[in-house]
Amino acid sequence: MVYLYDGSFEGALSAIFQMFYDKGPVKENQLKIRELYQYQIFDEVVETYTVPDQASKVVASVIETFGEEAFRRIGYAYLSEDPDFGTKLYRCLKRAYKLGGLGMENYSDEAIMDLYKCYNAVARESHIMLGLIRFAELDKGIFYARFEPTYDLIGLMVPHFQERLSDQLWVIHDTKRRKAAFYNKETVHFSDLDPIEDLYYSSKEEKYQKMWKAYFDHIAIDERKNPKLHRQMMPKKYWNFLTEKMTK
Amino acid sequence: MDALEKLQILADAAKYDVSCSSSGSDRKAVKGALGNAALPGICHSFSEDGRCISLLKILFTNKCIYDCAYCINRSSNSAMSRAEFTPDEVVDLTISFYRRNYIEGLFLSSGVVRNPNHTMELLIAVVKRLREVEHFNGYIHLKGIPGADQHLIETAGLYVDRMSINIELPTTKSLRLLAPEKSRSDMIAPMGMIKDKIEQSKAMASRYKSVPSFVPAGQSTQLIVGATDEVDLKIIKISEALYNRMKLKRVYYSAYVPVGKSAIVPMNQVHSLRREHRIYQADWLLRFYGFTADEILTREDPNLDMEVDPKCQWAIRNPQLFPMEINKVTFMELLRIPGIGNVTARRIIAARRFGNITFEGLAKIGVVMKRAKYFVTCNGKYYGAIDLEPWKLKQILIDAPGKKANQLTMVELFPQTFGGDLGGLSV
Repeated sequence: MVYLYDGSFEGALSAIFQMFYDKGPVKENQLKIRELYQYQIFDEVVETYTVPDQASKVVASVIETFGEEAFRRIGYAYLSEDPDFGTKLYRCLKRAYKLGGLGMENYSDEAIMDLYKCYNAVARESHIMLGLIRFAELDKGIFYARFEPTYDLIGLMVPHFQERLSDQLWVIHDTKRRKAAFYNKETVHFSDLDPIEDLYYSSKEEKYQKMWKAYFDHIAIDERKNPKLHRQMMPKKYWNFLTEKMTK
Repeated sequence: MDALEKLQILADAAKYDVSCSSSGSDRKAVKGALGNAALPGICHSFSEDGRCISLLKILFTNKCIYDCAYCINRSSNSAMSRAEFTPDEVVDLTISFYRRNYIEGLFLSSGVVRNPNHTMELLIAVVKRLREVEHFNGYIHLKGIPGADQHLIETAGLYVDRMSINIELPTTKSLRLLAPEKSRSDMIAPMGMIKDKIEQSKAMASRYKSVPSFVPAGQSTQLIVGATDEVDLKIIKISEALYNRMKLKRVYYSAYVPVGKSAIVPMNQVHSLRREHRIYQADWLLRFYGFTADEILTREDPNLDMEVDPKCQWAIRNPQLFPMEINKVTFMELLRIPGIGNVTARRIIAARRFGNITFEGLAKIGVVMKRAKYFVTCNGKYYGAIDLEPWKLKQILIDAPGKKANQLTMVELFPQTFGGDLGGLSV
């Protein structure tokens, strides 16, 4: 059976609720996003709907059985935007409930590990991104950062910068997913935001960008240049929002 | 001279110091003030030599009265441009870079101007300003200047997250040769003092509500490898002593880069980065894998093998311990199996609770099978398909040359054949 959901996190959890209720064969059951699904002959399709009540029942059960850390992992795995997230989550939970309370830690199990890999990829990029985000001061004193992470991380960036840069106005903008987080020294709010064509920088901004680039060039030891390692540690896909890597 | 020019000169002057880490401190954010420290540390960029940039690493000044032969800032190096920051400039750079998320904090060191005390006072002025005037809570790593008064080092410790005093060279003999103006005791004494103070502050913190933190991220040091002719065992032994007795968090090793010709540096060849890499691997075995220096290397065989990593080298020397049964051995034993690290060992322990791990399961867990399979059995079965004979194992476990960024030359692989004894593989 192929279950279809709307692509939202709550949608996935509601679908999980229904799939567990239906008790179908674990191996054949799949959970896919409605928009991305392509019908194949012999597929038996079941539509599911987002029901907040059902979703929160799943959440409560996961937390009670496996603990909060396990639920956090599921949330991270969702942010990987893996098209197979639904099926992976279903198989992982089916297996974990069979194994009991520590089930999510059976790393030699394929179903558990498949979801864990989604989580791990997000957790890793999220840590890298905490370092790679670059703010630039705009003319109104707002620090603006645009970035294009592989996974949907913006929500994971916010608590860190809310604490660290608590005394400045900032905006973090995911230009690929066209959304942004705004911080006003008190609270953060999220909103859709298209890429901005013209940015007007503060008078000091250029000076510091120049200094940072100079520092970046001078801190490397020429005798030890290693472009391959450089790209490995800081992949090229991130370069277009890194101040030190911009060409102009 | 403007700040940009100074930054260029003083970053150039600081870059041979390898320490970059920003971990170990969880200095809390204060609402309305700038910054906090992230316990695991954060890398903000990577320079073109592949090293991480976490802190703004600069010298306060490179005008140095000392003439240490290995150092680019030695007073006799007339080719070097000299500059000196003002405390304001350093503070402004740190804060401005920090607000843009370029850096995790400041790593401030300095050449010795006038005398060690004067230099230390300059450094303290900067960190004091950052903490007390700017209310900056980011990470600060400060170099202790050897020979400065203890009370100055102590004062500095109240403002910073990490302190380091470089021991520079592995032995007193080498130090006398290359840095005759520095003394070993000037380095070791403050290190011991910082260690005691850290322990005191921790003991107080468990008893009282609010105790001023003292160097919460601990201390580290650095030594230069390959400027003198010490064998690897000697170096690993020194590190072991520093970790055990001085409770250091890190010892950094820097492969000597010949900076301008100096007649008295004994080994003036371009040094192998491979050796530095192997020493770091051995250092990891000391800190995270429960090895002792005498296990990693022996008197008969005092240098690290450039072809296989130190753990493989150890395993090859001790075939009687293998293969180990993956479903039976303890955590500490798992850590000794080549191809298994801390993360995978923990996963194995977690997964074992659900039943025996199969050979396929081991691969799922993330174990590096191309190394591990020769050293383990799964449920009694051995999958390595060779006899555990040292000379055969070694051939199989060689890091394939050509895949690496720094390809080994024939001379490096066969030093005896091509160049005779080059001071123990340090080509």
